[in-house]
Amino acid sequence: MQIQYKPPRGLLATLFQAEIVQGMALTLKRLFSKPITRQYPDEKPDIRVGFRGQHALVRDPETGDTKCIGCMRCAISCPSRCIRIRSHKDKEPGSRRVIDCYRIEALRCVYCGFCEEVCPVNALVLTEVFEYSSYDRPSLYFTKEQLLGNWDRFVAQLKVPVDEYVNPYWRPRGVSEAGLPAGKRKKVSPEWSGEQQVVGRKWRQQQSRRNTSEQEGS
Amino acid sequence: MNIIWMLVWIIVLFCVVMLHVAYATYFERKIIGRMQVRIGPMRVGWYGLLQPIADGVKSFFKEDIVPERADKSVFLAAPIICLVAMMTSLAVLPFAKGWVLADIDIGLLFVFAMSALASYGVVLAGWSSNSKYSFLGGLRSMAQVISYEIAMGMSLVGVMLMAGSLNLSEIVEAQGDSFLGMYLMPQCIGFFVFFISMLAETNRVPFDLPEAETELVSGYSTEYSGMRYAIFFMAEYIGMMVMASIGTICFLGGWNGPFPVPFFPPLWFVLKVYLFMFIFIWIRATLPRYRYDQLMGLGWKLLIPVALANIVLTACVKAVIG
Repeated sequence: MQIQYKPPRGLLATLFQAEIVQGMALTLKRLFSKPITRQYPDEKPDIRVGFRGQHALVRDPETGDTKCIGCMRCAISCPSRCIRIRSHKDKEPGSRRVIDCYRIEALRCVYCGFCEEVCPVNALVLTEVFEYSSYDRPSLYFTKEQLLGNWDRFVAQLKVPVDEYVNPYWRPRGVSEAGLPAGKRKKVSPEWSGEQQVVGRKWRQQQSRRNTSEQEGS
Repeated sequence: MNIIWMLVWIIVLFCVVMLHVAYATYFERKIIGRMQVRIGPMRVGWYGLLQPIADGVKSFFKEDIVPERADKSVFLAAPIICLVAMMTSLAVLPFAKGWVLADIDIGLLFVFAMSALASYGVVLAGWSSNSKYSFLGGLRSMAQVISYEIAMGMSLVGVMLMAGSLNLSEIVEAQGDSFLGMYLMPQCIGFFVFFISMLAETNRVPFDLPEAETELVSGYSTEYSGMRYAIFFMAEYIGMMVMASIGTICFLGGWNGPFPVPFFPPLWFVLKVYLFMFIFIWIRATLPRYRYDQLMGLGWKLLIPVALANIVLTACVKAVIG
């Protein structure tokens, strides 16, 4: 690493406080720049695909109940241990596990998204809803019914039909097609699958490049 | 009858100044916000215009806490000393020709005395709060006032020499109404010293050591709450206004402007004061705080010698030419 020292300043620069003048010029320039403030309740932030917000249990259109099979993977992978599942299985052979209780303590959740990534049947999702603050704690300890209700509310405000909705986290990134369970072989947009996934600064750069090229095209 | 008129003028001046103080806080928050690429207060009223009033109402109805171990009488008196001293100096400021409450002959000296007295409020507040942060703030304020009061007084001696008077109206009239008549040009060294000591005198960034929010948890006003805190705040802003007015009167030619304004003679004065206020805020948005020993070093080793040299220079030039 090369260290860059400031050049020594001359007598004139000392006398007229060149650095202070530079700083003042910078603040004056900023005075006339456009503020970047977003006035939240009036202007909503644009939520990107893959935002991890309020929890929901996907309602299975066939049974009208959750898709969960009680495999406990989400509860095991959860770093904050906020998922609690109780299930039982009937004696008859071939019957599915029945979920008695599925609870998420939203206040303990760290929104890492491991639970939805690990779920083999895409039963759980962190929706793009982010405004669900509450004045009391009990309403944020989501029960199974509440989680299903969250999904219904999320679907109601969704712009695409329910069958076309794919959460990017349903498909773990960097895993090959063959390595995925059957339920997770969903088609997600290329920027979210495998090697091509782009996030963060790179995504913004791509976006701005796309915008400029569109402007040039039109 | 004369006394009644006088009282009416006092009340008018008080109200106008209070309004200006309230909106100076708004002005400051907006400008600093824009300089930091934010937008500042927006929610109360149109573009946050009612924000100062909301702040006033809030601080008026807040609980007035007096610490148990504080020196109660001094604690209660300190903010009032601060505010009264600052407001008193408003009486001698000429806002336009003849627009002055008390046209006394020692105007400049009076303003100095009052601004020095206001720092008693700060020192007493720091002492009586019985808290180490406040105490350190008070100590710093004392040291700062002692060292910068000298430099400031000396920087204005040049102006006094040139005008031959301490009366503020006469100082303005001595400068004439031409642009070149301003004492800013012949007294540029004096102005430099005055400007820096003005910042220190009003406890503004980069010399806001007595209240240093980051190190002293806002120093002398740590233990104050509600209306008393607001009074300190008002005193600070009135102090800014008074110092800006002194700067305008002594160096920028007071109420004189390129052309006289028919119905509102103090217009140029107000504009110049607001220019000063803007520079105050601009500096606050730009510069970090001085270190304590650097502050003392700057005061004693640079400003006082420079101010002394300026006096000698001015006196020599006046002796040779005049």
